[in-house]
Amino acid sequence: MSRLFVEFAIRSYVAGAAVGIAAPMIGCFLVQRRLSLIGDAVGHLAFAGVAIGVAAGLAPLWGALVIAVAGAVALEWLRVKGRLAGDLSLAIVLYLGLAVGLVALSARGGLNASALGVLFGSIFTITWLDVAAITVLCLLVVGTIALFYKELVAVALDEETARASGLPVDGLNVVLIVLTALLVVAGMRVVGLLLVAALLVIPVAAGSRVSHSFRGSVFAAAAAGLLSTIVGLVVALAQGQVTPGGAIVLTAAVAFAVAAIVGRRAARRHPRPA
Amino acid sequence: MRSVTVELEGVRFGYGAVPILNDVRLELHEGEFTVLAGANGSGKTTLLRLCLGLLRPDAGTIRVLGGSPTDLDVRRRIGYAPQGLRVATSLPVSVTEVVGAGLTPLKGLFHRMGRRDWTMVTAAIDAVGLGDLSAECLFELSGGQQQRVILARALVGQPELLLLDEPTTGIDRRLRPVLVRELRRRADLGACVVAVSHDPDEFHEAGERILVIVDGCVRQITHEQFHHQFHDHRSDDHGNHDHGRDR
Repeated sequence: MSRLFVEFAIRSYVAGAAVGIAAPMIGCFLVQRRLSLIGDAVGHLAFAGVAIGVAAGLAPLWGALVIAVAGAVALEWLRVKGRLAGDLSLAIVLYLGLAVGLVALSARGGLNASALGVLFGSIFTITWLDVAAITVLCLLVVGTIALFYKELVAVALDEETARASGLPVDGLNVVLIVLTALLVVAGMRVVGLLLVAALLVIPVAAGSRVSHSFRGSVFAAAAAGLLSTIVGLVVALAQGQVTPGGAIVLTAAVAFAVAAIVGRRAARRHPRPA
Repeated sequence: MRSVTVELEGVRFGYGAVPILNDVRLELHEGEFTVLAGANGSGKTTLLRLCLGLLRPDAGTIRVLGGSPTDLDVRRRIGYAPQGLRVATSLPVSVTEVVGAGLTPLKGLFHRMGRRDWTMVTAAIDAVGLGDLSAECLFELSGGQQQRVILARALVGQPELLLLDEPTTGIDRRLRPVLVRELRRRADLGACVVAVSHDPDEFHEAGERILVIVDGCVRQITHEQFHHQFHDHRSDDHGNHDHGRDR
């Protein structure tokens, strides 16, 4: 029980809460636009960035940030040009990122525990400086969403009509994809690059089951994300052997199952008008 | 003398090698209600999309509200209702949110929606007869109700040009005249209204011009001429049950 309140646990709660709230907020826009897999692709590109950064003698965070943002913008460019139709191209980018990362790290003998920490998260070893960096990235994501909320909603609802009515759709799409890259990098130490996309999607699925509006879904998804990270961390700390990233994602999956049941019962109790 | 809202000069357009519009010359004016008719695939939707700047003509010039249709400031003065529901369906979206999205371009970046904006949203929802359902999720409404929401989104910003692609599709027959009267009211207030329809009779009271696209050319005809000349097309449409998207 005492493990739950030691300093490294407090650090993990703060960083976990920041990512747990911010990830589903941006995930709502990605899911609505059927871009759920983008988070996975950017995560794998960030892994290549970590490896390239290590090879160049940079901190892993900077390598991940540069390659994730540049790769995300390139992905958006390919999508706009119609060269990213379907999931085949995304899958190619995803595996390419993983392969580049593995080759670059193994060539320098860096395929060790810290590489596993990048892939699966290492939240219990983060410093207060890491917490500050993660929190700043998440605040940037949430603040930008708040600033462009109505524009991002209009594009997420109907991109063509938003374009026809004079919104700068291409610019807003770049904003969304860059925010996704920032969030992926923020989540790298919390749940790992292989699982960060789960926090972009699963709490959103949970939130959408108990809401009747997009705004309601955003708030419910953020609440589900926060609850999942805190409960997942508590479970990992209390059990002592379980990986926190896996525990967080499994808790999110349980939250989705509960939300699905609650949403269905509420729909039966209050049927909508025909 | 009414000012020109839309002007097409020698516009030619095709999808690949398939020509759709050929040397279209057309002027639409403020305060005018135009019904754009024609057979499936004749190019009605294509013509609207050219006026919206979503397609670029192979030849010729298009001027909308005195500027280019790709100009963002011009687009903000246009209300557009596409054919069918194009709203993404992954997450729930309320009626108010969809209609409110129609005001977003007019507000500009960094400006939040105020009380006056939400009053305009409520008025647009009321105008299409959905006042009681404003808080409901769009996807829990019937097809006709969803179409009315899309129409409200086009109307909410009180645009100078309304481009409506099959605006009454799926809507209850007894409600259609109410919506047509609302569109006529917008034209009387000075808007240029263009409604694509397979059935210009629906707009008989409101529409002062019927334009029909035949073999890539736009011609103006009367209701009587429409019935006389296009009866075969319409019979064929109904006979084949062809409800696919138009070009």
